[in-house]
Amino acid sequence: MFDFFIHAVSVAAIYALVAVSLNIQAGYAGLLNLGHIAFVGVGAYAVGIAHHLQWHPGLGWAMGIAAAAVLGFFMSRLGRNLGADYWGIATLAVAEIVRTIALNEDWLTGGAQGISGVTPLWSSLDAGSARWAFLATVLLVLALAMGLSSRLGAGRFGRALRLLREEPALATSMGYDLVALKSKATVASAMLAAVAGAFLGHYISYVGPDFMLASETFLIWTMLMIGGLGHVGGVVLGAFLVQAIYASMPFAKDWLGIGSDVAGAVRLGLIGCLLLACLLWRKDGLVPETLRKL
Amino acid sequence: MFQFVLDVLIRTADLALVAVGLSAVYALVKFPNVSHVQYAALGAFLTLAGQRLGLPFALAMALSCVVTGAVAVLLNTLVFRRLLRSGPAIAMIGSLAVSMVMVALMLGVAGSRPLRYDFEIVSPLVIAGARVSHAQAYSIGAALLVLGGFAWLLYRTPMGRRMRALATNRALAEATGIDAHQVTNLISLISGALAAIGGTMLAMTSDVHVNLGTDLLLPVFAAAIIGGLGNPLGAAAGALLIAVAETAVTNLNFGWLVGQPLAFLPVTYIGAASFLFLLVALLFKPYGLFDREVRRV
Amino acid sequence: MKTLAMKALAAAGLLAASAGIAHAQDVTIGAVLPLTGPSASIGEDQRRGMELAVERVNAAGGVLGRKLRVIIEDSGGRAPTALDAAKKLATVDKVPVVMGEYSSGITIPTAQYLVKEGVSHLNIGSSSPRVRGIGEGSFSVIGLDDVSAKFAATDVFEQKFRKAAFIAPNNAYGQGVAEEFKKNFEAMGGQVVASILYTAGQSTYRRELQQIERAAPDVYVYSAYGQEAAIINREAFDLGLNKTQWYAIYQTMCTTDTPAQIANGQIGMEVSAVGPAGKPYEEAYSKKYGEKFKSAYSGYAYDGVMLSAAAIAKAGSTEAAKVRTALAEVGRKFDGVTGEVVFDKDRQRAVQPYLRTRYQNGVLPR
Repeated sequence: MFDFFIHAVSVAAIYALVAVSLNIQAGYAGLLNLGHIAFVGVGAYAVGIAHHLQWHPGLGWAMGIAAAAVLGFFMSRLGRNLGADYWGIATLAVAEIVRTIALNEDWLTGGAQGISGVTPLWSSLDAGSARWAFLATVLLVLALAMGLSSRLGAGRFGRALRLLREEPALATSMGYDLVALKSKATVASAMLAAVAGAFLGHYISYVGPDFMLASETFLIWTMLMIGGLGHVGGVVLGAFLVQAIYASMPFAKDWLGIGSDVAGAVRLGLIGCLLLACLLWRKDGLVPETLRKL
Repeated sequence: MFQFVLDVLIRTADLALVAVGLSAVYALVKFPNVSHVQYAALGAFLTLAGQRLGLPFALAMALSCVVTGAVAVLLNTLVFRRLLRSGPAIAMIGSLAVSMVMVALMLGVAGSRPLRYDFEIVSPLVIAGARVSHAQAYSIGAALLVLGGFAWLLYRTPMGRRMRALATNRALAEATGIDAHQVTNLISLISGALAAIGGTMLAMTSDVHVNLGTDLLLPVFAAAIIGGLGNPLGAAAGALLIAVAETAVTNLNFGWLVGQPLAFLPVTYIGAASFLFLLVALLFKPYGLFDREVRRV
Repeated sequence: MKTLAMKALAAAGLLAASAGIAHAQDVTIGAVLPLTGPSASIGEDQRRGMELAVERVNAAGGVLGRKLRVIIEDSGGRAPTALDAAKKLATVDKVPVVMGEYSSGITIPTAQYLVKEGVSHLNIGSSSPRVRGIGEGSFSVIGLDDVSAKFAATDVFEQKFRKAAFIAPNNAYGQGVAEEFKKNFEAMGGQVVASILYTAGQSTYRRELQQIERAAPDVYVYSAYGQEAAIINREAFDLGLNKTQWYAIYQTMCTTDTPAQIANGQIGMEVSAVGPAGKPYEEAYSKKYGEKFKSAYSGYAYDGVMLSAAAIAKAGSTEAAKVRTALAEVGRKFDGVTGEVVFDKDRQRAVQPYLRTRYQNGVLPR
């Protein structure tokens, strides 16, 4: 049972990492990226492909981060002057295209089958210790990411992003290149997401196109909105909260004796209601963004 | 050749009504309502429920339109108007939450198994060498009829004029005494009903399942954006364009390229084709091909 | 108020504890089945087979003097969900054996995980030749496609068809059966004029069907999971493709969700649902569920449970490593309701009987 707890926390930590990465785009810069999951998928697939081709896993990590950065750059340059919601739909379309490619190109990605049997991290240790080692690794990286993100947010770059978000006209008049700022934010976010994706690939030992379904991005957005868009601690809290609901479902199912369909419905409905409630009554999330008061 | 035309019409009929409803409401609320496609799914399920309760199909569909329209109005009044105060992005995320709740309700009540309407199984019609099933023929007919009716409403009635006025210049329209809330509610009702008909027709040619709405999301948005959000009939043209692109792409024989008698593009790439279409459209004509979208002032 | 809450909490805790204690006495094995998703009808049938087996074992006194219980988890028809379920069974419930799934594309990653954790895996429904490669600790109660495809190809050829169009899902199962069928059919002198592996989970397969129609075959050979097969069959009907003969590989799977009117007239092949000793099982099934077999696969699930119970009894414990050894031993010769189950050197079923079938308001032997 305790093993399962470690499992739940590990997965939550990975998702928290994704949430922190999206926060850089969505929280600081206000970019409505609905295709964020593509970056995670790219990171995961890179690790899977490296395993399939029997390359060194480190190469897979590097490939994933680089590919995600390129994709992020491309996304940010899409229609430089598109309104926020239009750009969101465009990113959704890009993510779907990436997923379709992953679904069809068997020779590279294993198609609908995916790539299974990816060597987990710390495979030299026995199963029990490996679980602890993995959890420790992810938590460490998460802490690093949170620290980095906070520093970034409090620094000049973060302030520029917030200005881009709140007063784009003012930002331009002050000489900021908006598109370049957008690109930097998106690329940084993409690279971090790819790291999370690589962790995910190793952890589940399986990579499939289902990772990149649009519903997954919506899940991440829920974590952000519930926790507090813009506040690093908030989004991590949101991630753990949502993941807790997700992980407890199988047990609730056994306890209440309900079928899988109903369990899935309850889970989805709960998350949806939570998100809606947050939007209607606590727009800033559970942990609102703290802006420095002058 | 005629089969090609029929395939295009069938696919257009699947998308057009939902896209038109989406576009019409956008003109007034100015945010992309992601839950709109779930109205289509809801409509399909309600029609099924009606039929299972013993109502004749047409009546069940009519009731489903009324209920779905009412749901659309309720959601607009209670949820989206409030969220819009915080901006279109928040409203869009709110519509995401609403779609999650709607899907959850449908999943919980109806389960994940695909369900079918209770129709007799009859051989397909053969017209000029092309085959079309009765359901598909009805779908095309209904789409044309309803679109015609909506166009008439929009361009020949005072209500339609009011709606177009509000869409073009809200402040001025309100100054002339047009009640924005009333018009928005009416259009929400109509778009909900349109989505219900579209969803029911789609479910008639395939089946009723919880993913019906989500599967429509990107193609419908692509159609609406290509036509120009806020230009409802443009959305119908957008749906037609997407249908042509999808059908052409999968029917073209690339055998000559690879030296085999028959070689086709994998079918799942057609989804990617419409998104690529959308991306290109957004890049070069972000306000739609007909460039008549209502700009945000 | 506070005391009431405390009492309620204590009561709940006691209830949970007692339930836990009661269950702790049982011998548990696990199963990952497609209770929802495209193969939901098959999953239900497999569940029924397991239920009947558990009743039978417990009526005869249980295993190691305790009650036998199968913890069934839903795979949802998706690999990530199945993996999660397997993780729970292995780490929370700590079962020595897990049976499942049905689709080869899901069985393979799930089994790979399980055998790595030291849990034994019993394949009760998948047939891709790739199942053979899962590794030490994975056993198959059902035969694989290298044999079934040969059977199907021979059957189609003997029906005088020479130009086959092939459609199957794009996963480990479909890829395996497509390869094997083509190999065997062309070796006999036939020709596979078109072959499409469709992506699962779509709501329409119309375009795929139109693509293979262009090749003008004289027979459509197909294999698809229940709900998807229903869509394919219906759309083939709408396109008028059913004027040409349709041949189903694993016909009960392909027709379980298709309306009879559309499926009538198809021919195909299937695993034999019961072996010579299976009559009592067939009767017990009809008696309990009020209908004939929903698919051909419940018997294999039944045999899976019986095999596991026998192995645990032989090992004298529920320790995973001992059970694994015992499974190999018991599988040297096991009399199941689906016939004699004998493992070959790769722990796969050595002899699998197949049936030629046709569909007329139900799958009937031909």
